[in-house]
Amino acid sequence: MSAKKTDLYQGTLDLLVLKTLAHGPLHGYGIAQRILVTSKEILQVQQGSLYPALHRLERQGLLKSEWKESGNGPMAKMYSLTTAGRKRFQEEMADWRRYAGAVAMVLES
Amino acid sequence: MTWDSWFKRRRWEQRMDAELRFHLESQIEDYMAHGLSREEAERRARIEFGALDLTKDECRDERPARWLHQIRRDFQYAGRSLLRTPAFATAAVLTLALGIGANTAVFSAVYTALLRPLPYHEPNRIYSVEVVIPERASQFPSLPVTIQAFLEWRRTATVFDGMTALRPWECNLSGDGEPERLGGARVSANFFEFLGSPVVMGRSFASNEEQPGSENVVVISNALWQRRYGGDPGVIGRKLDINGESHTVIGIASPHFLAPVQTQLHALVPFAPRLDIWKPLAPTARELQGESWDHGVLVRLRPGQETAHASEQLRSIMTAWATTKYPGMKVDLRTQLRPIREVYSGKIRLRLLLVLAASGLLLLAACANVANLFLARAASRSAEFATRIALGAGRARILSQMTAETLVVALCGGALGISIALLGARQLTTIGPHELREHSGINPAALLFALGASFLTAIVCGAIPAWKVYRQDAVSGLREGARSVLGGGIRTRQVFMGIQIGLGTMLLASSALLLRSFINVMGADRGYSVDRVMAVDLSLFGPRQDAATFYRQLVENTRSLPGVQAAGVINDLPATAGSTGASRTIFHATDTNFQDLVLKRPVAVIRSVSTGYFAASGTALRAGRHFRDQEPTLVALISESLARALWPAEPIEAVVGRTIRQGNVTGPLITVIGVAQDVRAGAVESELPPFIYRPYPQWASGPATLVLRSALDPAALSPAIRAEIRKLSSNLPIPPLRTMREIVSESVAQRRFQLLLTGLFALIALLLAAVGVFGVVSYAVACRTREIGLRVALGATREDVLGWVLKSGMRPVLLGIAAGVCGAIAGASLIRGVLYGVTPFDPYSTVAVIVLLLVCSGLACYLPARRAARLDPMTALRCE
Repeated sequence: MSAKKTDLYQGTLDLLVLKTLAHGPLHGYGIAQRILVTSKEILQVQQGSLYPALHRLERQGLLKSEWKESGNGPMAKMYSLTTAGRKRFQEEMADWRRYAGAVAMVLES
Repeated sequence: MTWDSWFKRRRWEQRMDAELRFHLESQIEDYMAHGLSREEAERRARIEFGALDLTKDECRDERPARWLHQIRRDFQYAGRSLLRTPAFATAAVLTLALGIGANTAVFSAVYTALLRPLPYHEPNRIYSVEVVIPERASQFPSLPVTIQAFLEWRRTATVFDGMTALRPWECNLSGDGEPERLGGARVSANFFEFLGSPVVMGRSFASNEEQPGSENVVVISNALWQRRYGGDPGVIGRKLDINGESHTVIGIASPHFLAPVQTQLHALVPFAPRLDIWKPLAPTARELQGESWDHGVLVRLRPGQETAHASEQLRSIMTAWATTKYPGMKVDLRTQLRPIREVYSGKIRLRLLLVLAASGLLLLAACANVANLFLARAASRSAEFATRIALGAGRARILSQMTAETLVVALCGGALGISIALLGARQLTTIGPHELREHSGINPAALLFALGASFLTAIVCGAIPAWKVYRQDAVSGLREGARSVLGGGIRTRQVFMGIQIGLGTMLLASSALLLRSFINVMGADRGYSVDRVMAVDLSLFGPRQDAATFYRQLVENTRSLPGVQAAGVINDLPATAGSTGASRTIFHATDTNFQDLVLKRPVAVIRSVSTGYFAASGTALRAGRHFRDQEPTLVALISESLARALWPAEPIEAVVGRTIRQGNVTGPLITVIGVAQDVRAGAVESELPPFIYRPYPQWASGPATLVLRSALDPAALSPAIRAEIRKLSSNLPIPPLRTMREIVSESVAQRRFQLLLTGLFALIALLLAAVGVFGVVSYAVACRTREIGLRVALGATREDVLGWVLKSGMRPVLLGIAAGVCGAIAGASLIRGVLYGVTPFDPYSTVAVIVLLLVCSGLACYLPARRAARLDPMTALRCE
């Protein structure tokens, strides 16, 4: 099951990105790869949804970006969480847990 | 952050590109690391990446300050779509340009005449003083001040920061070139310092120069200095020959110096139209004994001082002086203070504001027209809007695009309007009255006004069409096609059309009233002929008796010139506003008690006339005889109004032969030998005071006007007249010969100015309204093509269709006309003050205006109606 574009994953994509960056700064490709690997190839984020989301989160002040040398090659735009981003991450995690728990309760009743 | 991204768009785009390319390259490397060839890796990576541009677009949407970018895009799109429909764009921009241009030009004139700051120090503290004598109020609502009163006030008043006096003065400058007559003023020594507009070179007057004997110093105007002396600084200290006496130039006034001209200060204190020379007031002993109400006085109030208190102090000082001069006489003198701003703008204010209102109406009419244009445009694009809304475009985005279009049109209209205003402003100075001479094109205030007007028109024109689009139902817009859906929109367009017609009616009605007033004024009987009469002003100086001889000789010589039917001299033409010359109280021969009667007897202005004046000017005699060359006893001709004031109960003929005294009850007896027709000034509305005419040998005056009656053109006669004058005096300035019609025409300059502008606006509004009617009715016919086809197919004749279209088209026109007439009636009280000989509810004008509008709109309706009547029903029914 590959993730479709924008509409369905609007809220979840944000959460995934915030979680991924909680471990440390990454560029866009790195974020997509990390999500792919961590979800055991189930969640494949398309760049058509990833980059607009990254820019949106940056505009909202939850991420900040820096152009850095990437390992052995060209400059890459590295994103990292801001303080506001960290706070939002905590909130969204709590929301998600509550939501998922509620759905689970209904499904297993 | 937001402004940062706005300005660094290109850099942002480059970085965006770099970011996505990095992603792509990383993906390719990964694939290659998994064993794929470079080409295969690239192919797969590209496929997986998806649409690059779409991603870029979505990222652009997430840029900070995207609203700014959206606005920029909206304006670009608006510009492009306007260029694609050049007919609409030109029509809309031109219409708005006319409206905004007219308004800006008029506002600029209003600003110059009414609002611009006066070039004085703290002008809001400067007031002009006038005296009111209640018993004389019917003849003279107010009077200027006597020199004695001014001197008393200056000596004892405590509530002022200064005061100054001024009196009209004209003189002949000769000796260093062509003799020239200069207009100017006699002023108190502190005149320039009082106003806060000091001389730019040399010095101003010293207080010791106010004495007779030390007063032969003058300050000249900057214009005269440039014109006659080429701006040479050496003119300071030079001696000029003025009125035969040597005067020293001590200073040059500032180029922007402003002083009251003509009758701005007071009707009885008339200055020349241009002031070029100032000399100190130096009252002689004789002047201080006499009593002449002919000085203007300006005072400067202390900050926070009340005018009532100041006025009261002036009054008490003047009353105290009067009681010592006329002991025992009960005298009631009052003073009133007029702000200096009113001196300059009082008379023209109403007219200018009315013209401004007219231009405002024109702008509204233009807006209604352009709003209709925008409605038509929105209608023709309704399919496009419906599609976009169906595809998910927010209505707000469409609205913002439409607003961008209206703003572009309005701003272009405003810019073009400013150029129109610049052109028009120059014309305004040439055709306008002298109050607008200072006008120097468009000033910054007017530019701001134009900008504000543009924004306002954008809002007005764009609001209704935008609201319609906002409320549009997307589905029905797609289903049936544009026109039939917005068949309901025809009503809004008819409303706008009706508004245009209404505004046009108001403008035409006021123009018609102004036109009738103007015709009345030009044709009014002033008591002298306007045709075939010409005049030249001569300012003779020197002993008075020499003047009498001079003029008698001149009149004799000119009378015998070929082509001259009659010639005479009077010391001041009635046609020019204001009256110079002495005025005296006229007593009956039997009057003995001066104190009792001085305020009951009429005051008359004395006019010196030669024989032949009445024949030349065409003023008729109501009774009695003309002056003869030799008059052994003291005689006078009095005007009708003076005869009625002196002997109210008697018929005019009985007055001939009576005797009067001039000025007091002890002077010599003067016999009334005739009664002359009353005369009116050029501008006609102002009543002239009663006149008493004295023959030149008995009451002479230096400055006078030669009046000639001749069928010849002035150009043909002028050389002969100049030659005759030169024969008698070698250094008398001779201004050009003018016809009486020209002189009278100058005095109605304000009225004519208002008529021309209001008429122009009315015609433009009429044109716009006709075009608007044509457009709306054509559109209605286009909307209803199928319906018309159906009617014809069902048996309607051509005349039926014609009638139907005409009726539905003219209905809003009739409503508009009715609304306009109501509006004109409502504004009647405003316009009453500038009319002459017509009431605001004049039936002939109203009917004429209604007929004109009906004819024009009827024609505009008829053309599309005729086209509709000729429709082939088959094509009409098939048309969609």
